[in-house]
Amino acid sequence: MAALRSTASALLGAAAARPSLRMAAAAPSAFRGMAQLADAAQQNNTASEQANLKTFQIYRWNPDQPSEKPKMQSYTLDLNKTGPMVLDALIRIKNEIDPTLTFRRSCREGICGSCAMNINGTNTLACLCRIPNEDKADMKIYPLPHTYVVKDLVPDLTQFYKQYKSIKPYLQRDTPAPDGREYRQTKADRKKLDGLYECILCACCSTSCPSYWWNSEEYLGPAILLQSYRWLVDSRDEKTLQRQDALNNSMSLYRCHTILNCTRTCPKGLNPGQAIQSIKKQMAF
Amino acid sequence: MASIARSSLLRQVATKPALQNSIIARAAFHTTAKRDLLPPLPQRVVGTVNDAAPVPPPSPSHGSYHWTFDRLVAASLIPLTVAPFAAGSLNPTMDAVLCATLLIHSHTGFQNIIVDYVPQYRTPRARKAAIWGLNAATVVVGLALYEYETSDVGITETIKRLWKA
Amino acid sequence: MIAQRTGTTALRRVAANPNAVFTSTFAKAAMSQMQTRQATTQKISATEARSILDAQRLNRPVSPHLDIYDKQQTFFGGSIWQRFTGSGLSGGLYVFGAAYLAAPLLGWHLESASLVSAFGALPFAVKSGVKFLVAWPFAFHAFNGVRHLALDLGMFMKRQQIVKGGWYIWGASLVSGLYLAFFL
Repeated sequence: MAALRSTASALLGAAAARPSLRMAAAAPSAFRGMAQLADAAQQNNTASEQANLKTFQIYRWNPDQPSEKPKMQSYTLDLNKTGPMVLDALIRIKNEIDPTLTFRRSCREGICGSCAMNINGTNTLACLCRIPNEDKADMKIYPLPHTYVVKDLVPDLTQFYKQYKSIKPYLQRDTPAPDGREYRQTKADRKKLDGLYECILCACCSTSCPSYWWNSEEYLGPAILLQSYRWLVDSRDEKTLQRQDALNNSMSLYRCHTILNCTRTCPKGLNPGQAIQSIKKQMAF
Repeated sequence: MASIARSSLLRQVATKPALQNSIIARAAFHTTAKRDLLPPLPQRVVGTVNDAAPVPPPSPSHGSYHWTFDRLVAASLIPLTVAPFAAGSLNPTMDAVLCATLLIHSHTGFQNIIVDYVPQYRTPRARKAAIWGLNAATVVVGLALYEYETSDVGITETIKRLWKA
Repeated sequence: MIAQRTGTTALRRVAANPNAVFTSTFAKAAMSQMQTRQATTQKISATEARSILDAQRLNRPVSPHLDIYDKQQTFFGGSIWQRFTGSGLSGGLYVFGAAYLAAPLLGWHLESASLVSAFGALPFAVKSGVKFLVAWPFAFHAFNGVRHLALDLGMFMKRQQIVKGGWYIWGASLVSGLYLAFFL
């Protein structure tokens, strides 16, 4: 992408017959994508005398130099030329300052869960997290806490997905539908799935949970338990008892000590803490 | 616990010095090295991504029964604690019941701490030692409380007198 | 973005039609340069790939957690202090119990009468300080314990209630700890 763009601009530069286009590129608003200039150059630019600078400190670690310690690297951006969300800033840093910065992103609207990371101390999706405009403090961006880091902001979620698989996240049923058509449920039963089916498995909640930090080998963590509850409470599922048995040991479910960091951090506004509490209540009486 | 964890670490270092040292040194930076008793191990994944994490066999006595029992004990402590102070009078039986409930509550509380911080899969011997150490301590304290309740004035009265001293 | 697209479309048009503004050789050279792949790839078996991945995994650091997570949630959250205060109080009980049982052997006097007289001899400030060190954890553990039981029944589970509830517990336990220590 970057290579392609530089080729294109080299080509245009070689043609050297487009002074008007170059002028336009220097103007900040019209051709933002063309702004190849480093931010240092932009600061010198007299056009941006009211630059609204913000520094982002970002966790860096490169697997190609495994013996080097992870470090925090600072990048300064002019917020007037950056989109409102942290993901916009990250993309701009990658495009214009440091192409080696690595992070996951896809939908940029909070539906894919790729850009989950720890921003200013709390786990959230970078695409849903506004850059606070008023305070001048640096933003600190880390990968999801207590995960193995693949590179920079990219965590390894293998264990998380393996645990998701272990709860059999699909409808289990032996009896066919009475009328031979689809499995139907009442409106009240469907309503029970609200607040559960919206979970996008971004792992923000699980990696905010100290219990999961210490025991991720065995404890399932809030996200997986919320998903588990989504199937436990589904009126169409017939394996409720087996599902409960799978959780009924000291580690899988009961390492939850109602710390509730999960509910406080969920970027989708869901309530994993409440889902876990519902499982416990369901299994207790 | 600290000493046990450390000795097992030393053993690992002794077997694979170079690799392990560098890994520990590296892990030390990102986590809180000086305070880490059990720094996270280097990542090892069993099976492929497509293999589900193993599901432990059901054991309600460590799961749902245990949890429910814990809550009932905790809830019963509320009236037991409030009653003697609110009523102003002391009943030796009630005091004994309070002592026993407190002991059970403390025991399961410590158990939870051990289960959380001394992982079975990683430090099985330390876990066993901790659990049995706790069991022994609870028996000792149970005996002591029995002695105290029968030959002295009892827990509630002692606290009352100390507070007024 | 627009400028970039203009560039590529122009390029494509030039490549398709050699008689355009630019000389065809130049454009073709540009196109071929774009599609050159510098890195050479090599096929490896699944087991080899897995062994490379396993080796990489051993090098991976663990991302920071306690150090960087919101202190208000980790260090001032009710949950960890429930554990601290609980183990403090229970630890005290256990230590006292063991000492009481060992006292006759060691010649200590831990009967209630001698304890009360020894404690009563201390100056007021020390007495109240010690009382506070017991009363505050007790109040915190009791209030937060009730809150936890309510949470287990599904009450006060909304996000705002969780945040506020935590602060209420701190306030209430400090006030009652001080009251119990100094005014009772």
